[in-house]
Parts: sequence; C-alpha cells; structure tokens
Amino acid sequence: MILTRKAIRKALAGGDIVIDPFEPERLSPNAYDWRLGDTMRVFDEELDAARSTPFTELVLPPEGLVLEPGRLYLGVTYERTHSERYAQMINGDHTIGGLGIWVHVSAPLGHVGHAINWTLEIRVARPVRVYPRMTFGKIVFLVAHGPLASYQSDGVKYTSTAGIDISRLYEELA
Amino acid sequence: MILTGPEIAESAADGRVAISPFRPDQVNPNSYNVRLGPTLLSYRDEIVDAYRPNPTETIELPEEGYVLRPDRLYLGHTEERIGSDIYVPLLFGRSSVGRLGLFVEITAPIGDIGFHGQWTLMLSPVQPLRVYPGMKIGQIMFFVSSGEIDLYEGKYQSAAGPQASRYWRDRVAVAS
Repeated sequence: MILTRKAIRKALAGGDIVIDPFEPERLSPNAYDWRLGDTMRVFDEELDAARSTPFTELVLPPEGLVLEPGRLYLGVTYERTHSERYAQMINGDHTIGGLGIWVHVSAPLGHVGHAINWTLEIRVARPVRVYPRMTFGKIVFLVAHGPLASYQSDGVKYTSTAGIDISRLYEELA
Repeated sequence: MILTGPEIAESAADGRVAISPFRPDQVNPNSYNVRLGPTLLSYRDEIVDAYRPNPTETIELPEEGYVLRPDRLYLGHTEERIGSDIYVPLLFGRSSVGRLGLFVEITAPIGDIGFHGQWTLMLSPVQPLRVYPGMKIGQIMFFVSSGEIDLYEGKYQSAAGPQASRYWRDRVAVAS
C-alpha cells in the first residue's frame, strides 16, 4: 500500500517521515516531488565491482550541464528523507522520463530506516541539459508488513549519506 | 504492503516464501540480497528479432571476473531458486550495483505469484564493468496481494539458468 498525500502529511506531522528541506507544495497525490542536488560524479575508467574507482566531481552551474549518453552520472537528491516506519521507493517523474533520463539504475528501494540524501544513478538516452535543484522525480512511501528491522541498526553501508556515495561493493568482495 | 526483513525470514522458514539456498545474513530490512549465478547468455546476432528465437552464446564467469560491455545485453541468473505462492515478488538491482552503472533488470521487476525458479537477470552496463560469479547483485522484495490467488503457469516456470526471451512462442501461439 502506498501512502496518499494526506497520509504523508500526517506521517510528517507525527515524525514517522522526515523530508528535509520540506516544501508542502511538493506533495503530489501519492508522492513527494524531489529535486536534483548541485553536484555529480563521473568515472573515466572501466569500473570494477571489486575495486574503488576514481571519480571526478562536477558542480552543476546555474546555466545547466549537458548529460551525454554512454556515461554514468552519480547525482544526489537535494532532500534528505528518513522513515523508521515506511519503506521508500524513488523514481523519476513523467517529465524527466519524457526527456530520456533514467534517475536510477534498477535500484529504487529505500529500506525502512534509510536516512539519506539519495544517490542517483543517472543515464540519458540522448544529450539533455539539466539544472541544479530542478524537480526530478517522485519518492513514494510504502506500508510495511511484519516486525520492523531498521537499516540504521544493521550497521551497513550508506546509512547516513549526506552527499553522493560511490559504490562500496568492493568492501564485500575484498 | 511490503514485507519487512524479519517477515521474509519467517516466511522462508514456514514456506510462504521459498528461497534456496537461504542465508540469514542476506536479509535486509525490506528485501533479500540475491547472488549472481555462474552462467550468462548473450545474443549472437547484431539485431535481435522479437518474433524469432535468437541464437545465443553461453559465457561461464571465471573467478577473476568478466567485463560486461555497454553495447551488449547479457542474460544472467540468480544463484537462488525463489518463489512464493502467496506474495508478489519484485526483483531489482542493489544500490551498490546501480552505482556501478549496471542494470540488473530492464523494465520488468514484477514477478508472478506461483513462479518458482532461478530468476533471469537482464544485465546491461552503462560503462564497461567487471563482475564476479557469486557477487550479491540484486534484491528481491515481496508484496502482500489482495484478492483470490491464481498461480503462474507460464513459459518460464521452474527456470534453471538464464532464459532467453521466448516472445516468439506467444507469437506462434497467436498466429496458429
């Protein structure tokens, strides 16, 4: 079950959902319309799941940055979201999809307990100019079934990300 | 409603969910981490035809890893056999894998109630990427369904290893 606007508003008021910064007009009928942050990271070499790959960080200028097909851009949400009660799912919105932009690479789930600025895995179908803090997608909140476990208490990777996180899969494969 | 990790573990123990092999340390707060099986299939022809069976080549992943190329599509499979006759499974990549630019499924995360088998993964990297057999590559989550249940009886039932698209079989069935 997906929370409606009124249910999200109620959960925000009761502290079961945190969205920071929060703008009430960004609540849509069953989601929160999040914004693209100010920086991105790109990789110049072949990536290896078992190694940390060097990256270059780009700052998005006010006049925008043209994203090119064939490259992976790690971006970040402007907002930090957190819930110890609901699972979260992030996606683009129809406007962004209509521009040929993927905002994540097949990994939309935020577990219960995630407290993060979400790292975005951006890929484009054709060159497209994007701007800092533009509306970029939707986060939905899902009711959980069963006893809760928290991502925080598991002590795993990416528990309190404030910026872009590159993959730390190499920690598992070392 | 999405199952919590403790509920997934309990369901795996009492049979509401079947995950084999099952390792408790692969349970997350709302999902279960699945591993990449040792075999990949890749289409041989430059143009894949939706209406015809397409020839594939088999790639066995070596321990030292194998580099996936952006201009190719690789069909992989989960090491685990997974299914449920009660909950709806959804399979996605893990964020650690997404951050390496690897698509683990392509626009088809939703499974059917009653499907049991190894899940085919649709692997497509944005930039060249080295992957390893047995690496934890994806996450499967389970949703509570609403309504009377009618189990899956489709063409990929009991899949073992990666399955190439059998769209052509539906096409033949419709044409005859």
